[in-house]
Amino acid sequence: MTDPQPLLRIDSVTRTFGDVYAVDDVSLDIRQGELFCLLGGSGSGKSTLLRMLSGFDAPSRGRIVIDGQDMAGVPPHRRDTNMMFQSYALFPHMTVERNIAYGLRRAGIGRAETVVRVREMLELVQLDKLAGRKPDQLSGGQRQRVALARALARRPKLLLLDEPLGALDKKLREETQLELKKIQETLGITFIVVTHDQEEAMTLADRMGVMQEGRIVQVGTPREIYEFPRSRFVAGFIGTVNLFDGTITQDRDTDAVIDSPQAGGPIRIPHAITGTVGQSVTVALRPEKLVIGRAPSEAHDNHLSGQIRDIVYQGGLSVFHVTLDTGMTVRVTRTNRVRDEGAAIAAGDRVALGFSGQSVVVLPS
Amino acid sequence: MLRAITLLGFAFLYAPILSLVIYSFNESRLVTVWSGFSTRWYAELLQDDQILGAAWISIKVATLSATLATVLGTLAALALIRHGRFRGRPALGGLVTAPLVMPEVIIGLSLLLLFVAMDNLIGWPAGRGVLTIVIAHATFGTAFATVVVQARMVSLDRALEDAAQDLGAHPLRVFFDITLPGLAPALISAWLLAFTLSLDDVVIASFVAGPGASTLPMVIFSKVRLGVSPEVNALATLMIATVSILVLAASFRSWRR
Repeated sequence: MTDPQPLLRIDSVTRTFGDVYAVDDVSLDIRQGELFCLLGGSGSGKSTLLRMLSGFDAPSRGRIVIDGQDMAGVPPHRRDTNMMFQSYALFPHMTVERNIAYGLRRAGIGRAETVVRVREMLELVQLDKLAGRKPDQLSGGQRQRVALARALARRPKLLLLDEPLGALDKKLREETQLELKKIQETLGITFIVVTHDQEEAMTLADRMGVMQEGRIVQVGTPREIYEFPRSRFVAGFIGTVNLFDGTITQDRDTDAVIDSPQAGGPIRIPHAITGTVGQSVTVALRPEKLVIGRAPSEAHDNHLSGQIRDIVYQGGLSVFHVTLDTGMTVRVTRTNRVRDEGAAIAAGDRVALGFSGQSVVVLPS
Repeated sequence: MLRAITLLGFAFLYAPILSLVIYSFNESRLVTVWSGFSTRWYAELLQDDQILGAAWISIKVATLSATLATVLGTLAALALIRHGRFRGRPALGGLVTAPLVMPEVIIGLSLLLLFVAMDNLIGWPAGRGVLTIVIAHATFGTAFATVVVQARMVSLDRALEDAAQDLGAHPLRVFFDITLPGLAPALISAWLLAFTLSLDDVVIASFVAGPGASTLPMVIFSKVRLGVSPEVNALATLMIATVSILVLAASFRSWRR
């Protein structure tokens, strides 16, 4: 991660509003051509960070360097970044064509060249036929495309996208995610996407950073973040997770044991963990890593037992809420591979849950 | 029942105006006696240099003061809405709109005293005439314009201006490309409101007008004191017709959108 010259270097950036740390000592390097997602809840500081990158806000401390140039004191209209706004912010009194041309004309690009580049952009987002329309004559999805085309038209070094798909309905959002990724790969422009939607971040990102209370708590690929969260917050924020409190009772080079009263016994892990015997830890286990059955199966090295409280059928997937004998409720998901599989197990049944010790993540409590 | 009350309401509002229009086509010199249809008062009106001159002054004053009021009102609204908190903001907000509730007699009198004092001290504005009426009308027109423009500016999406700047437009350019078109409906309303108020005003104008700069309402008012002339009815009818055509055109335009 120590790229000698990253496209964007955020160096110990802090932004305070009075006593409130909106962004708190954030450092981050982003490479040329990367699609980076900033994921966080509302008030996590992700939008403030984005506004500082675009120049609408300035850091209280720290530096932002884009392509080797320190951005301190550079106003938004002089930056080689463009932003796609959450509300799209299309100019209502201009046609689609003039919206896209606006940035090009301001960059001093001639009329003829502008026409060509607007055409290119319209083709890229498949809106060639709607060039003459006004924004209020477009659907939500079409507006989103115009906003994207307008932001891309100047070929910025860095494109900042603030909740780019937030206003679209679920189905359209999923299609658009893939399209957005394709466009990004085609153009090779570096994207920074701010989102509160973890699924969106997982789908889009090459790498992502999870923000909490103004800090970046973890940076990694979507797989790293999902499979190896470093804190309870990250584990709980990305996807669903079952968390067992416990104490390390054994830690050797080859295996470890964590005793968890909530799980109703020891959890065996077939590798060494970081921690010392006697230390309190939390064991995180994703719902899909648990296998549900009537009797314990030989295939797993760890077992839990309990009673089905509730089954939520979601079509492709069923979610089982199982109350363990210890009183704790865990979630288990299973794909509905065979049509009537779900009927075999019903609410109230006693079940055995198996999982591999390889699949758990041990977190500091 | 509801229908009857509605009709009664309309009658209450418009019957006087309707009777004025009808009597403007009266043959007789006596305003209250109908003696047959005629357009002679319209013809006489067009011969009356005093009224035509006053109408010209009124239009000049209204156009200038409405333009001045709209520019100042827009600037005041910009300061109040777009510049966050600054020293004197509450005072500016209060004072700029104070003329809305100030009695006209007081505005007129205070402006007259100011103009006289300024004339004595710095020699400007020299004497009283069109210029002083324009300034006076711009003062209270600004109050109305500020309120109208402010309301629009609040509802204007700030992100649009940010987007324009992000796309490389200098803040001044943003103002002309994005903010002004966004405000356009409010600017037109503000201008028309200030124009109408100026055209309509007789109290303030009477205070600050000098000899030879009588506005139309002032002339009508002085004529009526000598007895109502049918000529005034004809003039009023023309004014009503003009205003109605403008209002209809405006609503037709917004309806077509």
